Amino acid sequence: MFLRVRAEKKLGNFRLNANFEMDRGYCVLLGPTGAGKSVFLEIIAGIIRPDRGEVKLNGADITSLPPEKRGVGFVPQDYALFPHLNVYKNIGYGLRRVEKLERDKRVKEIAEKLGIAHLLDRKPARLSGGERQRVALARALVIQPKLLLLDEPLSAVDLRTKGVLMEMLKFVQKDFEVPVLHVTHDLMEAALLADEVAVMLNGKIIEKGKLKDLFRSKNEEVSDFLSARNLLLKVSEILD
Amino acid sequence: MRLVFSAVLAALSSVILLFILLPIATTVTLQFFNFDEFLKAASDPAVWRVILTTYYAALISTLIAVVFGTPLAYILARYSFPGKGLVEGIVDLPVVIPHTVAGIALLIVFGSNGIIGNFSPVRFVDALPGIVVAMLFVSVPIYVNQAKEGFASIDVRLEHVARTLGSSPSRVFITVSLPLSIRHILAGAIMSWARGISEFGAVVVIAYYPMIAPTLIYERYLSQGLSAAMPVAAILIVLSLAVFVALRILVGREDVSESQS
Repeated sequence: MFLRVRAEKKLGNFRLNANFEMDRGYCVLLGPTGAGKSVFLEIIAGIIRPDRGEVKLNGADITSLPPEKRGVGFVPQDYALFPHLNVYKNIGYGLRRVEKLERDKRVKEIAEKLGIAHLLDRKPARLSGGERQRVALARALVIQPKLLLLDEPLSAVDLRTKGVLMEMLKFVQKDFEVPVLHVTHDLMEAALLADEVAVMLNGKIIEKGKLKDLFRSKNEEVSDFLSARNLLLKVSEILD
Repeated sequence: MRLVFSAVLAALSSVILLFILLPIATTVTLQFFNFDEFLKAASDPAVWRVILTTYYAALISTLIAVVFGTPLAYILARYSFPGKGLVEGIVDLPVVIPHTVAGIALLIVFGSNGIIGNFSPVRFVDALPGIVVAMLFVSVPIYVNQAKEGFASIDVRLEHVARTLGSSPSRVFITVSLPLSIRHILAGAIMSWARGISEFGAVVVIAYYPMIAPTLIYERYLSQGLSAAMPVAAILIVLSLAVFVALRILVGREDVSESQS
């Protein structure tokens, strides 16, 4: 397995107790709001220390490593672009150790690939939702991470942009050959992107597998979460 | 009804504004009717020396507040720890202590027999360092609280992302936290500098000499009366306003170029 996580974390009344593993590929972690998905990602990124457990990436135990030593790319919800830096500097932020010419080349190359080369001089405030997401992706990818973590990457864009971006995410994973762990509450994203889907409820990974298998799950919580009623709620949410 | 409400709001607000502006404007305006006295004060090197001392001492005090207060502000904005409320209370303490009392307390510590004054190679009583510590004592809460507000207003996820991009905590502080709170830090520094200039009570206890502007004005008022104190007061008002407005504009410019969302 490429990534193995066993983590316990207590945050106020919330308790995360997750056992998770994934192969190289595109894995979607699906769960309702408040299930603990973001906390789980932050544990993998090294932002939150688990109370107990371990994180193993590519066979190496990275549990005690700080975020800057993990080589894990992280795109948080709403992208967290540095507002005081233009797009070029945002993307290049993680490349300060790279020699200037090489840095310049890599920033421009990735900007080209993600279709944001014309935005390099702009500040994040002057970008659309979709453009912001591309910049955040470029910033995370340019450091050539071993793993890419995406926290609700499509929640802040309109439906049409969403379609375009989903295609791009799939392209990114193939082209950069980077394993992706994508967190969402949206079944549609799981259906269209995931090689594998894991379902997280109340701080626990309940089940994992192909989405179509999950639909036949005997686990009541999972089948309830994936139920038609829930699907309709999602649809109405989108229509809103 | 809405009109009445607006009128009441406007009327009550203008009372406060008038209350602030009237004494200041009057003091300045009166100089035109007594222009000779004003010119005499304005051409008196002693007056300028005193004003320079005041500005200089307040500047040093502000620099100290920035160097030592910024890390404290960051800690208070970012971390929660047992006793945090107590620490915040300590920072605010100078605000509630009468300034003459603060001066006495500083004199006890920095005076020639005090814990610090006894061993320090620097003399505080009736010396510039004494003025600086008095100004620092009363102005540091203003700076720390402003800077704290600045750091608290930054989305922590920006700092988290910066970490995942290979930056150590100290580099994150320098490249993300500091530039994003620079407006608060500058505003805090200006306010703390202005507070330092206006301090009288604490300074006069620990360092009557070298004289600062508020002390000089007070002395002239006591020894020669209102008419002697007024020109110096007017000069100080005009100068302070000019510096204050200039700095505000400077920070305001920053504001425009940095405003993002």
